[in-house]
Amino acid sequence: MKLSAQYSKVNLIITISVLFIAGIIYYGTIDYIANNQLDRNLDEEIGEVADYVKINQRLPKQIDFDEDQTSFTKTDQKAIAKVFFDTVYRNPREKKPESGRAVTGLITLSGVNYKVIVIESKEATEYLIQLITLITLVLTALLLLILVIANRYILNGLWKPFYHILQQLKAFNIADATSIELSETKVDEFKELNDAVLSMSSRVNSDYQNLKTFTENASHEMMTPISVITSKLDTLIQDETLKFEQFNQINDIYAATNRLSRLNQSLLLLVKIENDLIQDSANLNLKDIITEKLHQFQELTQSKHIGVTHTLDDMEITASKYLIEILINNLFSNAIKHNIPYGTIRILLNDNKLIIQNTGENESLNEKEIFERFQKGKTSEGTGLGLTIVKNICSQYNFRLNYYFEKPLHSFQIDFV
Amino acid sequence: MKLLIIEDEQGLRESIERYFTEEGIICESCDNLQTAINKTRLYQYDCILLDIGLADGEGFTLLSHLQSTGNNEGVLIISARNSLDDKLKGLNLGADDYLTKPFHLAELKARVAAIFRRKAFNTSNILNYEEISINLPAREVQVNEMPIILTRKEYDMLLYFIANKGKVISKNAIAEHLWGDEIDLADSFDFIYTHIKNIRKKLMDAAHKDYIKSVYGVGYKFL
Repeated sequence: MKLSAQYSKVNLIITISVLFIAGIIYYGTIDYIANNQLDRNLDEEIGEVADYVKINQRLPKQIDFDEDQTSFTKTDQKAIAKVFFDTVYRNPREKKPESGRAVTGLITLSGVNYKVIVIESKEATEYLIQLITLITLVLTALLLLILVIANRYILNGLWKPFYHILQQLKAFNIADATSIELSETKVDEFKELNDAVLSMSSRVNSDYQNLKTFTENASHEMMTPISVITSKLDTLIQDETLKFEQFNQINDIYAATNRLSRLNQSLLLLVKIENDLIQDSANLNLKDIITEKLHQFQELTQSKHIGVTHTLDDMEITASKYLIEILINNLFSNAIKHNIPYGTIRILLNDNKLIIQNTGENESLNEKEIFERFQKGKTSEGTGLGLTIVKNICSQYNFRLNYYFEKPLHSFQIDFV
Repeated sequence: MKLLIIEDEQGLRESIERYFTEEGIICESCDNLQTAINKTRLYQYDCILLDIGLADGEGFTLLSHLQSTGNNEGVLIISARNSLDDKLKGLNLGADDYLTKPFHLAELKARVAAIFRRKAFNTSNILNYEEISINLPAREVQVNEMPIILTRKEYDMLLYFIANKGKVISKNAIAEHLWGDEIDLADSFDFIYTHIKNIRKKLMDAAHKDYIKSVYGVGYKFL
């Protein structure tokens, strides 16, 4: 539920209940005032009746009290309290009962006690109350309507900066150097939020930048010691007094150093791709590149007796030759490295996709994990970065990269969208 | 041939000096830019190995200096940075080649030999080594004046071996030379063996002499 809807709901419930309670109190108050007024009138009437009896020494006729109805009953009571109460008023002209207000009193005429009841019609005040109630209701409804509309439009307008920030946050990409752009707002809370988001994003960006710089520097710094190791090994093997055993160990050191160096180069390459530092884009004929690479890898495939079939259409892309060659290299070397003797490799290139398929282990790889860093087969001698590099190159150029397994072929498909 | 090695990493500098020093090659070395500039002012070198990241400045300064004085040394840059920009900058400033660390000494020597050959092209197009005679522009090889046919890789390998004659070259170094470092060939030393076997046989047939000696599974030596 949206905040504005939630707010409107609460707002509506509170408004309605407050107005309802206020209505009741309002009604009660008006009713009380009206009754008070009537009672005062009735009190005066009683006084007038008493005066009339005192002056005229007889009971007044009904006619003398225009709309009010007066009745006299003999009573033995010595005293009757002046009591006001609601009763029924019979309109003599319209012959129908109306609500009325009455008062009782005691009059003494020639030693005889009479109980006097004066009834007055409440019609007029009732009508007034009804009118007031109606006006109140209409005003209330109007108020509610305005509130709802105001809530909807004003609130939405008020929250606009918030939704803008939210949108920017959703679109925030740590690898993107473009910073968050926030709209101006006069609301303090949103200003604060803007500032917080800005400082957070710039901190995250600079942390990420630092991390990348660190990776790059660390990798660079490592190259020199690795080259010292390599050069020392190259010098060491010149000594022919060494024994076979020692040469074996040197071979292992060579292999490990080689791997270390490759790992470093791969990490550096990843940083470069992520930093968008390789920008020598040119028009490339992918078919030519693949044909050339097939030729380069020929010896490798032949020695493993791998049959290579390919269907290549002309296909032009705009990209860095360096990166595309690395992409093809990595996919080809994987297809060969993880292949089986006498296996097959199939390559299909047309104007919207490149598919490289190879035989290998007879079960699917985990398509979620294979593109992650340092994910590699147990027997793989590689760096575990090859496919990550492929993935990053693809996302650099908005190519879609997918892996799927259909027995017995592992397939890597690149869609050029 | 007179060589100047400018490298501030002592271990590497010593290895290079030791590997290159042999009959006919004089090596000098230093570890900073200022000494290097002074040396090039005073002496003439055939080839300079130049590290870019030096303690007292970038190696590019020396290149600019050489360019301004019109010296004609061959310069090979060795750098820890595998950066296209650096490579282009170096080559534009008159360097002849660019080698990224880490490298094999055999590769370095082959590159230096290539630079040296290019510099000496004016005088001779023919590279002679014992019975072998190579016509460099035509890429033709003769043994005892009989032409032999080598594939492109075999030809490259022969030049590589001759540049590193008398040295044990590791299989890693050969693999990297032949396939470059783009292709990860962790288990590909078999191919080297095939190439070596072929080239060895072709030379043996023509010269009746085994030039290539295998060294304990670690590498090969060209004699």
